[in-house]
Amino acid sequence: MRKVIMLGIATLLGAADLSSVIESPDATAILLKDALPAPKMYTMPEGCITDNSAAIARGKYIFHNLNGKETKEPAPEGLVKILPNGKEKQYGNCVACHNIEGAKGYGNIGPDLTNYKPLYMDNGVRNAQFVYQKIADPRVDNAQTHMTVNLANGLFTEREVCDLASYVASKK
Amino acid sequence: MRNFSICAALLSISLCGLLNADEQLSMSDSDKAMYAEMVENNPAAMDIADGEETFNRLIGEEAYAKMLGVKAKDLPKYIAGFPRFVKPAGKVVTLAQTLQMAMADRGQNVPKLESKEIVTMSAYVKSLANDQKTNIDVKANKQMKEMMALGQAVFEERRGGRGLSCNSCHSPDIVGSRLRMQPLPDLGAKETAAAGTWPAYRMTQSAMVTLDKRMQQCMKNALLAEIPLGSKEMVALEVYVTNKTKGNAIQIPGLKR
Ligand code: HEC
Ligand code: HEC
Repeated sequence: MRKVIMLGIATLLGAADLSSVIESPDATAILLKDALPAPKMYTMPEGCITDNSAAIARGKYIFHNLNGKETKEPAPEGLVKILPNGKEKQYGNCVACHNIEGAKGYGNIGPDLTNYKPLYMDNGVRNAQFVYQKIADPRVDNAQTHMTVNLANGLFTEREVCDLASYVASKK
Repeated sequence: MRNFSICAALLSISLCGLLNADEQLSMSDSDKAMYAEMVENNPAAMDIADGEETFNRLIGEEAYAKMLGVKAKDLPKYIAGFPRFVKPAGKVVTLAQTLQMAMADRGQNVPKLESKEIVTMSAYVKSLANDQKTNIDVKANKQMKEMMALGQAVFEERRGGRGLSCNSCHSPDIVGSRLRMQPLPDLGAKETAAAGTWPAYRMTQSAMVTLDKRMQQCMKNALLAEIPLGSKEMVALEVYVTNKTKGNAIQIPGLKR
């Protein structure tokens, strides 16, 4: 009987000791810093979607590549591969989810964007503002979307979103 | 079609992932031979053997079972229920964390979760439950209920550089779609049995990888900040992902792309 009580006490003492040796860092700050801003509605800036070939070339490059380190081809005028802080620039990797003209090894989580302009824009099913908003922050028209957020979180600049929209909407 | 039949023959979606990643729609005979060889002769078996040696030298089954408050003969079934609430921890812990506890209990220095000792020992200890069905009980107590809810919240929270969540790629409605050329696995399916097959040998890394590390790799690839090993949120993710594979047999070490 006595032995049982002793063991019980030993276990209790052990319990307190053992909890303190478990590696259990606090992740709150990491997650807080990583949080996404609330969904945001945007108005497409003036002159955003353009047939300027330099803009389309940048959009195409961002669409088809993951980041500056993984990409062999030189960046088009107006885009960098390495940022001033030495880190690689992130691109859109849109082909991970979308097929489009000339896409290699594309995924199919998102809709096929081949022939986007004749199929969806020329007949008014989609307009420029829709495309801009979808790329900038797709959560606005679909809260459950599986698509990446590209402007609201600062991944791209307004101009880069316009470059992407110009590429998607361009004749290819 | 040819691709599909090879995948079916290989019995495993993760292996099919490998051939697609090569952007090939069929697999060469030499690749096929390599996979077959690895299935027969998993390189991570060496890590498990290392873990067994370390575990028996530093802890031992009897002492481990006693620390957990179970009989040694009941260990396999008990191990198949992790992460779980463990009294001497006072909270829900992973197998790896119980090994830190056992080391302290034996008066040993406590190695980091990252360390080779903890990684190989936890793989060995989990292999004691091989062929047991994953039997996590997320309703067992208040602590497990809380961790399950937290795990789901972490799994579904969009964050990081691209505003993605785990759910962006692993929600039931897109399982089987392709991200680039990689089919997205159903984490709970029998072929994937995510929780039951990690630690696994990852061919693309030529090393044995644990489930929490594998989840960190997804975070890194998708530009989500990596949640540290052992944190409440990481344990909660493991609870949530393990629960998806409840009922699937444990088979350690797994073999993955
Ligand atoms: C992780 C997957 C994923 C990535 C990466 C992704 N998309 Fe999408 N995209 C989707 C999905 C899914 C939809 C379907 C609509 C929705 O759910 O919002 C979509 C819809 C769209 C649409 C609207 C199509 C229509 O008319 O309905 C456009 C345009 C688009 N994406 C462009 C892009 C661009 C440009 C990029 C890269 C910056 C990109 N997407 C990256 C998944 C993705
Ligand atoms: C951008 C897409 C994407 C995101 C976001 C993502 N994953 Fe994955 N995940 C994948 C792909 C693709 C694979 C399979 C890769 C392969 O075949 O090696 C995978 C594999 C896994 C596996 C291993 C499955 C197996 O074979 O047993 C686990 C576990 C996992 N993911 C968990 C997570 C968790 C947890 C998160 C969030 C923190 C997450 N993933 C976020 C794409 C993603």
